[in-house]
Amino acid sequence: MDVIDLLNYSIAFLSLFTVIFFILLLIRYRREVNKVPARTNWNPVVSVIIPAFNEEEGIAQTINSVLYLDYPREKLDIILVDDGSSDRTFEIAKGYENDGVRVFTKKNGGKGAALNFGIARAKGDLIATMDADSALMPNALNELLPLFDEEVMAVTPAVKVKPENKLIVELQRIEYLMILFSRKLLSFIDSVPVTPGPFSIFRAEVFRKVGGFDEKNLVEDQEICLRIQAANYRVRSSMTGIVLTQVPDNLPDLLKQRIRWQRGGLRNYWKYRFLIKPEYGDFGMYFVPLNFLSIIAFFLILGLMIHAVVASPYYSRYIIVDSIILGMGLVTIIGTLVVLSTLLWVYLAVVAFKEKVSIKNLLLFMLFYWYLMVGYNVMTAVKEIRREPATW
Amino acid sequence: MERSISYPLYALAFVLSVLVFSIGVYVGYLIDQSNQASISKEVEDISRKVESTQLLMLLEDNSSSFCPLYKSQLDSINEEVENIGYRLSYLEEEKNVYDIPLKKNYFVLEAQSYLLSKKIKERCGDKSVLLIYFYSNANCTSCKDQGDEILRVRDELQDRGIVVKIFSFDGDLGSPVADALKTQFSVSKYPSIIVDGKLYPGTMSRDTLQSVLSGS
Repeated sequence: MDVIDLLNYSIAFLSLFTVIFFILLLIRYRREVNKVPARTNWNPVVSVIIPAFNEEEGIAQTINSVLYLDYPREKLDIILVDDGSSDRTFEIAKGYENDGVRVFTKKNGGKGAALNFGIARAKGDLIATMDADSALMPNALNELLPLFDEEVMAVTPAVKVKPENKLIVELQRIEYLMILFSRKLLSFIDSVPVTPGPFSIFRAEVFRKVGGFDEKNLVEDQEICLRIQAANYRVRSSMTGIVLTQVPDNLPDLLKQRIRWQRGGLRNYWKYRFLIKPEYGDFGMYFVPLNFLSIIAFFLILGLMIHAVVASPYYSRYIIVDSIILGMGLVTIIGTLVVLSTLLWVYLAVVAFKEKVSIKNLLLFMLFYWYLMVGYNVMTAVKEIRREPATW
Repeated sequence: MERSISYPLYALAFVLSVLVFSIGVYVGYLIDQSNQASISKEVEDISRKVESTQLLMLLEDNSSSFCPLYKSQLDSINEEVENIGYRLSYLEEEKNVYDIPLKKNYFVLEAQSYLLSKKIKERCGDKSVLLIYFYSNANCTSCKDQGDEILRVRDELQDRGIVVKIFSFDGDLGSPVADALKTQFSVSKYPSIIVDGKLYPGTMSRDTLQSVLSGS
């Protein structure tokens, strides 16, 4: 057995283990996954902070969706922070002041700073952060609030994609369902890794305890969640409190977003690598290491694939079809199992959300996701190696 | 909150992974075996084909009237023999599957088709060049590259209308037929190339190969 074999087998085993672990997690918590907590009469004041930078197109819809929430109006404290927009965002938002929306404007300082600006002015017991291009379903708060018990410091919603008749959006819609489903399961082992920017609710006190958003961070919604996890507070995840978010509708924008997530994500996990300790439970001993391992595994798989092509002997061109049959073995069997399980996983996620997805798009998603990963991971590596400054 | 580690889940996931992994290893082994068996069967089938052609040549006298038939038979035999060779190499190099008895049978088949090619060349005035390539998987680091080089040159010459037929033998595998050929051509090192009966010991550059094979 040479190094290449050893790498192949290790990756195959690790992938297999991860797939089986998630399946076991699903079996273990199958009853809880779709369980909706009973509604309570608890109606705390909720401050909804919406930072906005050049969002004239979507801002009205975003504010309206908060105003139309099925929640006592006097218990909603809506704060719009215009982050120095150069378009009509501030003007449009001002029009909502009569509806009780508090509108502020400040010099542009980034999303994290705008959120902190809002948090400093929030009156609520709970603070919700919301992206200016997202929209809440009317019952969202009623679905999310029952998840707060004494130990819970933050609750994440079901972030779904605003539907659009474009393949790239449709594929992200599938991806988001898969992520949501996985996040719900991770919440059972206290391993929610992100409080998503489109919408998340926090106890106001958590910001006093762990501090506000990191204003310099590339993915501040992940960093705050890691900080909350590091403080050993619980984060819960909902399948039914829905927020719809706008996703990039073209490949360059999507790649740009993912490169930012990946670069920011890598920095954040590196910063929080101290969580890899038994006292951080499953989060420290499984989820955080898994993030590092999957990055390493990704590049190894890519390297092995390139190596297989580059190092293939000259004669292999005469037996292309034969080599598929001859090459079948442990690695291809495990690889096929992992791909099929992932497909099943995505399908289960789609079913769990009672959504519809065509088989064609489901298959396209698998292909697309791999190439998207190749794209952003390689670009991330190139940018990190060239030490390009990381910006939003 | 109190955190915990879900040991039972990890333990179960580990046990199941080992189980699936072991099944994968076993199924992979079965696949390799079935591939070897099917190659082995092909070796036998082609062997019979070679024998029947040889028999035909013995039965009919030294006329050249059957040459078109021999040539077409020989072309298909050579093509199949070559293909089997690639597949065996693939199994060895990519999957570390070594089936020495099968390899020895394959060398017998190669020797048979070499002799047949030689006879047909003599009798029918076939212009193809016969190349025997001696390599060693155990004691030769440059043999793999030399093998690739021979194939490349063969393909280039093919475009110029020069047909080169390659018969390759691992000289260290203990195959009686390979050993006999080694003795016949006084092969003492690897790689060694024999072109139409003439020995060229040691690694050959692409240019030399090209000029030797094209006779220029």
